[in-house]
Amino acid sequence: MNRVLRIAAPLVWGAMFLGAWQWLVVSRNIKPFLLPKPTAIWSVLINNKSLIGNAAKATATNALIGLVAGSIAAILVAFVAQRFSTVRSLINPISAAFNTMPIVALGPIFYNMFGSTSDTARRVVVALVAFFPVFVNVLKGLTQVEPVHEELMRSYAASDVAFLKLVRLPNALGYLTTGLRVAASLSVIAAVVVEYFGGLQNGLGSRVSNAMKLSQTPKAWAYITSAILMGLLFYVAGLLFERFAMPWNTRRQAADS
Amino acid sequence: MTPAVDVANVSKIFNAGKPNQVNALIDVSMQVETGSFVSLIGPSGCGKSTLLRLIADLIQPTGGDIRINGKIAKQARLDQDYGMAFQQAGLFDWRKVARNIELPLELRGWDKTRRKARSAEMLELVKLSEFANHYPWELSGGMQQRVAIARALAVDPPLLLMDEPFGALDEMTREHMQAELIRICEATGKTVVFVTHSIPEAVYLSDRVVVMSPRPGRITQLVDVDLGSRVEQARESTEFFKKITEVREALRGIEYGLLAANETSRTSAGVIER
Repeated sequence: MNRVLRIAAPLVWGAMFLGAWQWLVVSRNIKPFLLPKPTAIWSVLINNKSLIGNAAKATATNALIGLVAGSIAAILVAFVAQRFSTVRSLINPISAAFNTMPIVALGPIFYNMFGSTSDTARRVVVALVAFFPVFVNVLKGLTQVEPVHEELMRSYAASDVAFLKLVRLPNALGYLTTGLRVAASLSVIAAVVVEYFGGLQNGLGSRVSNAMKLSQTPKAWAYITSAILMGLLFYVAGLLFERFAMPWNTRRQAADS
Repeated sequence: MTPAVDVANVSKIFNAGKPNQVNALIDVSMQVETGSFVSLIGPSGCGKSTLLRLIADLIQPTGGDIRINGKIAKQARLDQDYGMAFQQAGLFDWRKVARNIELPLELRGWDKTRRKARSAEMLELVKLSEFANHYPWELSGGMQQRVAIARALAVDPPLLLMDEPFGALDEMTREHMQAELIRICEATGKTVVFVTHSIPEAVYLSDRVVVMSPRPGRITQLVDVDLGSRVEQARESTEFFKKITEVREALRGIEYGLLAANETSRTSAGVIER
C-alpha cells in the first residue's frame, strides 16, 4: 500500500500539474511564444527526437566526464587534505567561499583559455562545479570519525592503515554518496548553463538559447524538458551508486519508509 | 600474586599550566584482584572514566604507574590484554553483527574460519545467534550493547573495562543486562573494572565498590560487597540494601564536603562557584 502510494502520489501530482498548465493556456488563450501547451511541447519533442537526442548526448557527455573527473580529483585532494590539520580547519571557509562562487560564470574565460571549438572548457567548468560538494563531504567523512570508534580502534592497537581501511573509508562512503548526489544534479545544470555563454552549438543549452532567439518557444521547452530528464537520470544513477556502494544503508532506508 | 590491575600513585592533569587546568586525578592508587568485579562510582567529574581510560592506555598519566597483570599499560593494550565496552555500543554500521564481533579478531590476524567459529560462539554467549547476519541498526539498544560486550570478549581477554555500558538503557533492560553480565563473568572468570553512575548497579555487580570524589579526582572510600551468588533474590536481600546505604552515605559525604568547600570559596572570593 505504502509502496503504491509512494510511486502513485508524485505521478498524480505531476499529471494534475500538467493538466492545470494545459487548461490555463487553452482557457486564457495564451500565445505559444509566451507559454506553449504541454501537448505542443510533447509533439515537438517527438517530432525532433533524433535532433534533441544528439544535443542531449553532447551535453550529457560533458556532464558525465566533468562529474567523473571532478569527483576523482575531489576524492584524491580530500585524502591529501585529511593528513594536514591546517587544511582540515579550513574546510568551512573553503566550502563557504566556493558555495558562493558562480563557477558557471567562468565559462567565457575558459572558452578563451581552452578554445571555444572544443568541449574542454565546458568539462572544466562541470568538473569544478562537481569538485566542491564531493571534496567537502569526503573530507568530512574521513575526519569526522565517532570518538567511540576511535577509542575502540586504539584499544585494539590498530595501525593507522587498518584504521583508514576499516573505519575512515567506510565512514566516508556515506558522505561520498551524499556529495555525489549533489554533484550529479549540479553537473547537469552546469553543463547546460555553460552552453549559454557560447562555444560549440551542439548541446541542449545552446539549442535552448538558439530556439529562443528564433522565438521557437515550444522547441526551447522541448530541449529544457530533455535537460530535466537528463538531470533525473543523473540523480537516479547517483541513488543506484549509493545502493550498490552501501548495502547496509539501503535496507535501512527501505525499513524507514 | 600479581593483581590484575595495579594503579600506583597515578595523577592526570589536563591542560597543565593553563588557566583551564583540570586536576582530573591526584595520587590515585588502587588494585584489582584477578577474577574480581570492581566498580568505580562517583559524581560527574570525579575522574572515574579518566581512570578507566588510563588503565586502557587510551590516555597517558601525568604521573604514576599503571600495570595490567604486571605489564605496563601500553604493552597490555598492544597485546590486547583487555576488552572494552562503552556507553554507546559503538558498533560499525557497515558491518553485520557477526562481522562486528570479528573485527578485533581480524586485527589480530585470525583466519576466516576461526573468526566465524568464535563470533558464533560469542553470539551464543550473549544469546543473539539468530541476529548474526543483521545490521546493527536492526537491533534494539540492549541487543546492540550485548553485541558490544560479545565483541569485547571475542579475543578472550582476561580483563574487561566497561564505561557505563548500560547507562543508556531503560531500567528493565538494564537489570536484565546486569544479570547477563554476571552470568558471562561467572562462566568466563573475567576480571572487570566497571564505571557507573548507579548505586544499585555498582552494589549488585561488584565485589568491591570504589567511591571517588571530584576536584581533584581521588578515591575516598572502598566498600566491599559480598552478596553470595548473584541470583535475582540478591536484589532484595538485607546485605544489598545495607551496602547501598553505605555507598550512598559515602557519596553524600562527598557532596557535603563539596558544599562546605564552595561555602569557603564563596566567602573568601565573594563569588559563587559551582
